[in-house]
Amino acid sequence: MLKDPEHQVAGHMAKDGRLGPLVDGEGRFFKPFQSNGRGENEAKFYESFSSNKNVPDHIRGYFPVYHGTQVVEASNGSGKLPHIVLDDVVYGYPNPSGMDVKIGSRTWYPGVSEQYFNQCLKNDRETTSVSLGFRHAGFKIFDHQESRFWIVEYKVVHGYKVDDARLVLRKFVSSNSLADSIPDSAFASEVYGGSSGILAQLLELKAWFETQTLYHFSSCSVYMFYENESILMKGRDGARAQVKLVDFTHVLDGNGVVDHNFLGGLSSFIKFIQDILERQQR
Amino acid sequence: MHLKAPEHQVAGHIAKDGKPGPLVDDKGRFFKPLQGDSRGEIEVKFYESFSSNTEIPDHIRRYFPVYHGTQAVEGSDGAAMIVLENLLSKYSKPSVMDVKMGSRTWYPEASEEYIRKCLRKDARSTTVSSGFRISGFEVYDHKELSFWKPDRKLLNGIKVDGVRLALRKFVSSNTLSDTSSKPDAAFASSVYGGSNGVLTQLLELKTWFENQTFYHFNSCSILIIYENESIHDDDARAQVKLVDFAHVHDGNGVIDHNFLGGLCSFINFVRDILQSSDESTENN
Repeated sequence: MLKDPEHQVAGHMAKDGRLGPLVDGEGRFFKPFQSNGRGENEAKFYESFSSNKNVPDHIRGYFPVYHGTQVVEASNGSGKLPHIVLDDVVYGYPNPSGMDVKIGSRTWYPGVSEQYFNQCLKNDRETTSVSLGFRHAGFKIFDHQESRFWIVEYKVVHGYKVDDARLVLRKFVSSNSLADSIPDSAFASEVYGGSSGILAQLLELKAWFETQTLYHFSSCSVYMFYENESILMKGRDGARAQVKLVDFTHVLDGNGVVDHNFLGGLSSFIKFIQDILERQQR
Repeated sequence: MHLKAPEHQVAGHIAKDGKPGPLVDDKGRFFKPLQGDSRGEIEVKFYESFSSNTEIPDHIRRYFPVYHGTQAVEGSDGAAMIVLENLLSKYSKPSVMDVKMGSRTWYPEASEEYIRKCLRKDARSTTVSSGFRISGFEVYDHKELSFWKPDRKLLNGIKVDGVRLALRKFVSSNTLSDTSSKPDAAFASSVYGGSNGVLTQLLELKTWFENQTFYHFNSCSILIIYENESIHDDDARAQVKLVDFAHVHDGNGVIDHNFLGGLCSFINFVRDILQSSDESTENN
């Protein structure tokens, strides 16, 4: 029996009878094919990626495991639709805080229609994409004081400026009330730091992006999450912070050129995380 | 003060239609006219800020032209000029390449008209696809014993393969105007490689760009220079310099991800040529 995922932070959502992804509660995630060929593009990427011998194993771990496509009953009652079947990356995390960050100072790419280009350019300029090289797409952060999740409406997140982006990255790892204007970044070291924390994982990804010319990941997101239930008692081991790359509807062939758009944005995102970590360590 | 037009200008503004172009003197100085529309002021402001910025490490400072203030110069109607180090004065037969860095040459603070103009140029060139474009280059032909530069219009229209070819030609010794023979990239390891070569210098710059949030170097170029006179003694004296600061803005706590992305892409292109030339040397 498929139901809508509890911890989705961004993208189209299945609740309220809309078309969105579903989970089977046993570790599988079903993402409906997006319209206009995007679903086919995404499936094509996953097919190519899963069988690409040039992707090192330690990098493969940053991508959701692919299990082909399956036709299942869509979440909005519109009948049976093809879905991409993936590992549910948050399976086994009872109470995860998650954040989706779209990487790259531009979300358009050579060859798109003029209409799509104009829409992307407008979004990129209105948000922090142009200025920061990344923008927040959504998040769900557990408020330890209120004992519930803090979610911000998409329209508001879309309107975030540079300072808002910095603030929410600090809130992501805070233990005080998220309504407070000054986040304490108490979990920065457990979540962002350490040899297997978010920063270390991002740096590993960055090293791959400095030489890989296989794919250009337009409009892809870094999805980062960690477990709240055990973080207070078990620290870093309990947090099990992870980075995954998601959303492959606009992936292109690299054609021998590095994905400089993604790489620039990723480097900028890394610098923001590093700053927060350094600040907390002082 | 004896001033004349510089010999090896490969890109940027030249003296044309009565408008002043850059000049050089015989004391190793380069005089750059202040560009209109506040660009000249921005460039001066950058040089002033940069020269007095105590947080710039010395090993990074070497990648920037030394600044000597501004000066009104005779014959330029008393208009002020930026006085800089002449980057070529210590070279007798320099090959020079100008590479404009970044997958976009526009920036948020620019006017709508400027942004539109840049978007067009960026899309037509390799800027969007590769994160940089070659603005111009001049290379010494060791057979013909003369300098060669590609047609500007041709250069503007090149694609990724053209970039690869240009980067190979830049370090070749064989006849360059003869398009039928493949460029030999004979000087690839002397110029691009080695502990003081172009690749090492670019990697040093990259590390700085991963952290510095002082400046955003919009539309800036990297100039690559090397000496042909002594190259057969394996003494290329290759130098990387950043130039053209008419559109530099404050970093405001954010790294220059646009320049950095382009720089990483450029590094990969140079590395590929170095590796393929090393491989062919091994095979010979």
